[in-house]
Amino acid sequence: MTQIELEQFRRQVGSWLASNVPNAWRPALTNAEQGDFVELQKAWFTKLVEAGYATPHWPEGWPGGGRSLAEQKVIFEEVARADAPRLILYFVALYHAACTLFECGSEEQRQKYLPGILKGEIWCQGFSEPNAGSDLASLKTRAVRKGDKYIINGQKTWSTMAQYADHCLLLARTDSSGPPQAGLTYLLLDMKSPGVSVRPISQITGDDEFAEIFFDDVEVDVADRVGDEGAGWAVAQATLASERGLTLVELTQRMRYGLNILVGTLKSNGRLSDPVALADLGCLIPKVDAACALADQYLQKRINGTEQVGDASIVKLYYAQVLREFVALGVRVGGLDGQGDSGFMRGATQETGDWTLDYMNSYNWSIAGGSNEVQRNIIAERMLGMPREPKSWQLGE
Amino acid sequence: MSVELNELRDSVRQVVSGIGQYGAKQSLWDQGIELGWLMVSIPESLDGLDMGVAASSVVNIELGRGLCAAPLSSALLSIEALCDSNLSDKADHLMQALSGELLSLPFANSSIRLNDASLNGYAIALPGAGQATQALLWTEDQQLLFLASLDQPGLKCVERSTRDVTRTLFDVDLQNLSLKEQTIVAEGEQAQQLVSALLARRDISLAADSIGAASELLEMTIEHLNTRVQFRRPLAMFQALKHRCADLKVQIVASEAMLFDALARPFSETRAMAAKYLCCTSFAKVAEESLQLHGGIGMADEHDCHLFLKRALLNMHLGRGEAVYAQAVARGFLQEQ
Ligand SMILES: Cc1cc2nc3c(=O)[nH]c(=O)nc-3n(C[C@H](O)[C@H](O)[C@H](O)COP(=O)(O)OP(=O)(O)OC[C@H]3O[C@@H](n4cnc5c(N)ncnc54)[C@H](O)[C@@H]3O)c2cc1C
Repeated sequence: MTQIELEQFRRQVGSWLASNVPNAWRPALTNAEQGDFVELQKAWFTKLVEAGYATPHWPEGWPGGGRSLAEQKVIFEEVARADAPRLILYFVALYHAACTLFECGSEEQRQKYLPGILKGEIWCQGFSEPNAGSDLASLKTRAVRKGDKYIINGQKTWSTMAQYADHCLLLARTDSSGPPQAGLTYLLLDMKSPGVSVRPISQITGDDEFAEIFFDDVEVDVADRVGDEGAGWAVAQATLASERGLTLVELTQRMRYGLNILVGTLKSNGRLSDPVALADLGCLIPKVDAACALADQYLQKRINGTEQVGDASIVKLYYAQVLREFVALGVRVGGLDGQGDSGFMRGATQETGDWTLDYMNSYNWSIAGGSNEVQRNIIAERMLGMPREPKSWQLGE
Repeated sequence: MSVELNELRDSVRQVVSGIGQYGAKQSLWDQGIELGWLMVSIPESLDGLDMGVAASSVVNIELGRGLCAAPLSSALLSIEALCDSNLSDKADHLMQALSGELLSLPFANSSIRLNDASLNGYAIALPGAGQATQALLWTEDQQLLFLASLDQPGLKCVERSTRDVTRTLFDVDLQNLSLKEQTIVAEGEQAQQLVSALLARRDISLAADSIGAASELLEMTIEHLNTRVQFRRPLAMFQALKHRCADLKVQIVASEAMLFDALARPFSETRAMAAKYLCCTSFAKVAEESLQLHGGIGMADEHDCHLFLKRALLNMHLGRGEAVYAQAVARGFLQEQ
């Protein structure tokens, strides 16, 4: 697109958003009942899909897909400017599931699952287990091959929105004989199958954002395996790269818009003429700009096919750090009144202006998807060429 | 980065690293002139390479990597300012500059006033002005931008002491300089525009220098950690040290991305200041950590570590001054709202 066409596109997206963003969604989603939350998310998702703005990062040929970096940025900038709700219920479907299928799935799998995503099917990510967090490769949920099925037994935890999900991206163990990474297999599991049970977990914000999933002899067709048996680790890396890097094009734009919300807090608390508060804001702004630039650069690398190991970790670690600084400044200038408990808000972005809530939610980005420390290991070992630690260590008696 | 910029970067890097550290001031200056580094951002209409400010930033990054002592970055800035001006004999001035006659300009605040056709005041931190023939100066109210010969009565040029030995800075003092004797580059509103663009480019130039130096220094530090053995293993195996290196890497990559993003956008003084602030702060952090990670050898004069540290500390104070940036960025942001 030329610059003029791009500006035309911006106006088109902007005016569509102006007449379609649900009214007063913030109050509606504050301490929302499950049913209301799901309904609002579904309605907003459906509208975005119909307009072609939900899937700009999908490849060409798919509805809404094949957008350039510049166009994607326009969409996300405008979505942020219009302060539209975030599609958190569809986050895993749109990014983790779709990107994994585009990169590692078969054509049959894409045809089977992607249209469902566009129709509003919800996905969750079943990687973490009670005893396998940062050390994901040590996971124990078993998948045993029986004819053309795998039989699943085990437990997953911290699975975002699993209680609403139709499908699960499941990483399970098919072999325990070799090195831990080599025995993993990646499966697409129907959450309505017999033997699946889900228990929501209440978070520190009061929201039950994530859940445990239990599998008791659950069957998965062999046709629903992504990649080969034993190749699950590599497929999981594709999922994680999309989570770490790609999702941040939208979230960094949201963060830049969030600066206005922060300025609002400064204004209403009479801090705009306070030189210290102003200097804090001035130190933050360049970092927010840098986070945006970094996410854009990452997306451009994906489009060009020049992504390298560790690139996604850099984007995620930087974003997580800047986000924490951002919301910590919000908490500081929010004063005593900012400590009040007004519950939680679902489907909002990371910067709502309820800075204490936002502060708690910022741990999403420093823990989930591989913690900050894990990203630092990846950057040091895989990008900077620093040696790994000695491997073996035995627990004492 | 585009293919052309990548090629430019590689070719400058080859020369800079071939020549070695800051000591080789004269030969870097000569090579820079000969290889046309000063032409990269001159527009095609003036027979330049027309690659834009991104290209001069790429050159500055590489000069920073080599802790370049030759005043090439101030020459680049003066040339860009001349190109933007309406000076009638612009081409002649450019020709002189490109043939190696140095034009310097202040890298810190200056305070010059015009009263009754005579100029008084001072300008600070002009790189390499000891060898320069002329300086590009402006009045405090930014209503006048002019070229002053450094060899004229009423103008004193003295070397400024800095801990950083990789740059040689001079201060000039003006006493009753007659306006008639100076070459006026621009006046009034036009001067104001040129000066504000120049200050923003100076910020960008310092940002680029910092990114290059920080990248080189982190590589050097990691190399040290990979080879230094303590406790029967390379120090680089200790996670406490690895994580610090990873954080530094992230800061450098993010700052560099921000710098190039600012360059790709329409000119904004606020973004230039933001880039200066972020890149110089990142360099200072990398320098602070790197000396610590080198241990005792880092405090030894024979090792290069301190050269980076001193340049990093100096860079923080060049431009508009350390205290200005954070608040100015916030004010700029509020104004844009
Ligand atoms: C809000 C939220 C949503 C989530 N959603 C999902 C989801 O949808 N699906 C899913 O599968 N998982 C999800 N997770 C789980 C997440 O991936 C894990 O929490 C994460 O990988 C960390 O594992 P852990 O909680 O077991 O912490 P641990 O691994 O026990 O880590 C505890 C601390 O030790 C540090 N640590 C661990 N190993 C190292 C090491 N080698 N070097 C240095 N430090 C180390 C960690 O950084 C952390 O600070 C979610 C988590 C959160 C918080």
